[in-house]
Amino acid sequence: MIRQRWIQFIALTSLAMLAMLAGYLLWQRSHQPDDAWLRIQQTSVWRVGMDPSFPPFESLDGDDLLVGYDVDMAQAIAARWSVTVTFRGIGFDSLLDAVIAGQVDAAISALPVEPRFARDVAFSIPYFEAGLVLVVRAADTDIQRVEDLADKRLAVELGSAGDARGRGLQRELNGLTLVPFSLPQEALNAAASGEADAALIDGVSAWEFAAQNREVRLLDRAVVSDPYVIVLPVQSPDLVGAVNKAIEEMRADGTLLALRRKWFGPYAD
Amino acid sequence: MLSRLANGLAWLAVHPRGLLRLLVVLALSAVISAPPRPFVVLGPQQQVHTINGKMGIHTRLTDEVEPWKIKRSLQMVREMGAPWIVEYFPWAYSEPQPGRYDWTHADLVVNHARRQGLTVVARLGLVPEWARPKDTTNTYLEEERFPDFARFVGQFVRHFQGRVSYIIIWNEPNLSLEWGYRPVDPDGYVRLLRLSYQAAKKSDPGVRVLAGALAPTLAPPGSAEGMNDLVFLQRMYDAGARAHFDILALHAYGWSFPPDEPAAPDAINFARVELAREIMVRNGDGDKVAMITEGGWNDHPRWTKAVRPAQRIAYTVRAYEKVATEWPWCQAVALWAFRYPWATRTYQDYFTFVTPDFTAKLIYAEVQGYAQGRRQTVDRQDAGHAQ
Repeated sequence: MIRQRWIQFIALTSLAMLAMLAGYLLWQRSHQPDDAWLRIQQTSVWRVGMDPSFPPFESLDGDDLLVGYDVDMAQAIAARWSVTVTFRGIGFDSLLDAVIAGQVDAAISALPVEPRFARDVAFSIPYFEAGLVLVVRAADTDIQRVEDLADKRLAVELGSAGDARGRGLQRELNGLTLVPFSLPQEALNAAASGEADAALIDGVSAWEFAAQNREVRLLDRAVVSDPYVIVLPVQSPDLVGAVNKAIEEMRADGTLLALRRKWFGPYAD
Repeated sequence: MLSRLANGLAWLAVHPRGLLRLLVVLALSAVISAPPRPFVVLGPQQQVHTINGKMGIHTRLTDEVEPWKIKRSLQMVREMGAPWIVEYFPWAYSEPQPGRYDWTHADLVVNHARRQGLTVVARLGLVPEWARPKDTTNTYLEEERFPDFARFVGQFVRHFQGRVSYIIIWNEPNLSLEWGYRPVDPDGYVRLLRLSYQAAKKSDPGVRVLAGALAPTLAPPGSAEGMNDLVFLQRMYDAGARAHFDILALHAYGWSFPPDEPAAPDAINFARVELAREIMVRNGDGDKVAMITEGGWNDHPRWTKAVRPAQRIAYTVRAYEKVATEWPWCQAVALWAFRYPWATRTYQDYFTFVTPDFTAKLIYAEVQGYAQGRRQTVDRQDAGHAQ
C-alpha cells in the first residue's frame, strides 16, 4: 500500500513538473523580444518590400516614383507609428523570402494569403478583397447572392478563375447561362449594358470598372474570397499586432475607403 | 482527474502484464483505425489519340507522393492528346548516398507513363548534398564531381533501358542560378555533357542524349545572371559539343507575344528557337533534330510577361500547330507545365493546364479539342473575342 502511494506520488509530481515546464516554454515563447518592432521604434524606419508592377496598387510614375494604393497605405500606417517608410523594390516571387531573410520588415504588394508559408511568415488581417465578386446593375435588386443566379446570364472572362467557378455554378444552379468574353472589361460592360445579368470577375478588375461606372455595383460578399494582406516576420507578434490595429483603425475611420476612391475611382463605395 | 491518471499509471507500473495488454490493444486499435492504403494498379496498356504526334507537356511529378495522383496526371495527359512528356528525375533523389540507388519513385512515374502510352523525356540534374560543398545550392557541381554525375547518368540509362530513350543533361546551364550561382561556363558544361554522353552511350547505345535546354535570355555580356542563350549555344559548339549530343533541347517561352511573332536576336518570343536552329545548321548539325522541352505562355493577372487566359489558349494551340506544320526539324514540343502537386501561389500556377485537385482548366479542354480535331472556342487568329 505504501509502495503504491509512493509510486502515485512520484507520478503526480512528474506530471506537475511536466505541466510547469510546458507552461514555462509557452510563456517564454510568447515573451520573446520582437526584434523587428524594436528596430522600427529605435530607427524610426519601417522597411517595406514591394514589386512596383501592379497598378493601381504599386507602380512607378513618370518620375520613377513609387505610387499606388499600397504605397499610400504603408505611409498611412507608418504615420500612425510616427515613423517613415523606406521602400525596397523586390520581385514578386521573392517578396516572402525577403521577409523571411530579414531584408525587409514587411512585404506590401497586393499579396494573397499563402497558407503553405504560415510557419515562415505572418499574415496581417485582410485589407482588400481581390477574390471573385459579382457585379450587377446598380438598379438590379434581383441578384443579392450567388444562389440568385439561377436562370440568369453570367458574364465571365474566358479561361479565368471566374470562368472556372461559373462552370461549377452551372452544375449547381438551374438555368444559369455563361456568357464568355476575352477580357474582363468586356464581361463587365455586358453586365452594365444588360447583355448579361451579372459578371463574375476578380475584385481588382471589378473595382476598377465599378469605381468609374455608376450603373453597376459589387455585391458585398465575395463568391470566392482571396484577400490581399501584409506579410510580416513570423516571430514579430508586436509588429503584427500593430499592423492589424492600424488596418482596423483605417477601415473604421474611412482611410481605406478613401484610398479605394483615390486609386480606383469616385464611385468606389 | 489527475489523481485518476496517476492511479492508472501507478497500477500499470506494478502490473506489467496489464501494461502489455494495454500496448497490444493500442497497437490493434491503430491498425484497425488506420485508413486502408490505396492500391494503384498500372491498368491496361493505353495509347494516345491525337492529330498532332508532336504534342507534349512537361509534367511535374518529382514531388508528387501519392501513386494515384501520378497515375491520374498521366491519364489526363494521355486524354489531352499529348504523346510526349518531359519529367524531372533529380540525381539527389535517386542516389541519396554515393553508389546507393533508389529508383522507387522514378519507376512509378516511368511505368505509369508508359502504360498510358506516353514517351518519357527524362531531365537529369539536382546535385545531392554529398556531391557538393556545404552552403552551396543544389545546382552547384564542381569539375571534380562531373564523373559522379556521369556515373549517375549511366546508371539511370541502364536501369531504364527499353523504357526511357531520351535524357536531358542538366537544365538551363546558361543561367547562373542553374550553375550553382557561379559565372556560367559553356566549356565546363560541354565537359559535363561529354562525360555524361559517354556514360549514357556505354549503358545503352540507343539512348538519345539531349543537350542545352538553354533559358531564353538577353543577358548582356558580363551579366551576373547568365549568358545570352544564342551566344552560349555557339560557345558550346566552339567547345566541341557537336560530338556529344543527339538532339538539341530548346526552351520556347512566348512571354506576351503570339507564336507567329518573328524571331529576332533582341527579342524573347516563341519563334526564337528558329535562331537556335540556324546556329545548329551553321555548325554542321542540320541533320540533327531539336526538341522543345519547356515553353508556353502564362496568364497570371499581374505578371508583366503574362497574357490574358483567352490569349494563352489561342497561342498555345497555335504553337502546337506551328511546330507540327512549320518546323520539321522539331521532333516534339513539351510546354510548361501540366500540373503542380500543390498550388505555389505565385505566377507559376498560371502556367498549368490542370489544378492540383485535377480540375481541368479551359486551356486543357481547348488543347484536347484541338488534338481531337474539334473546332476551337477561342479564335486562334487573334484571341480577340470568345465564340
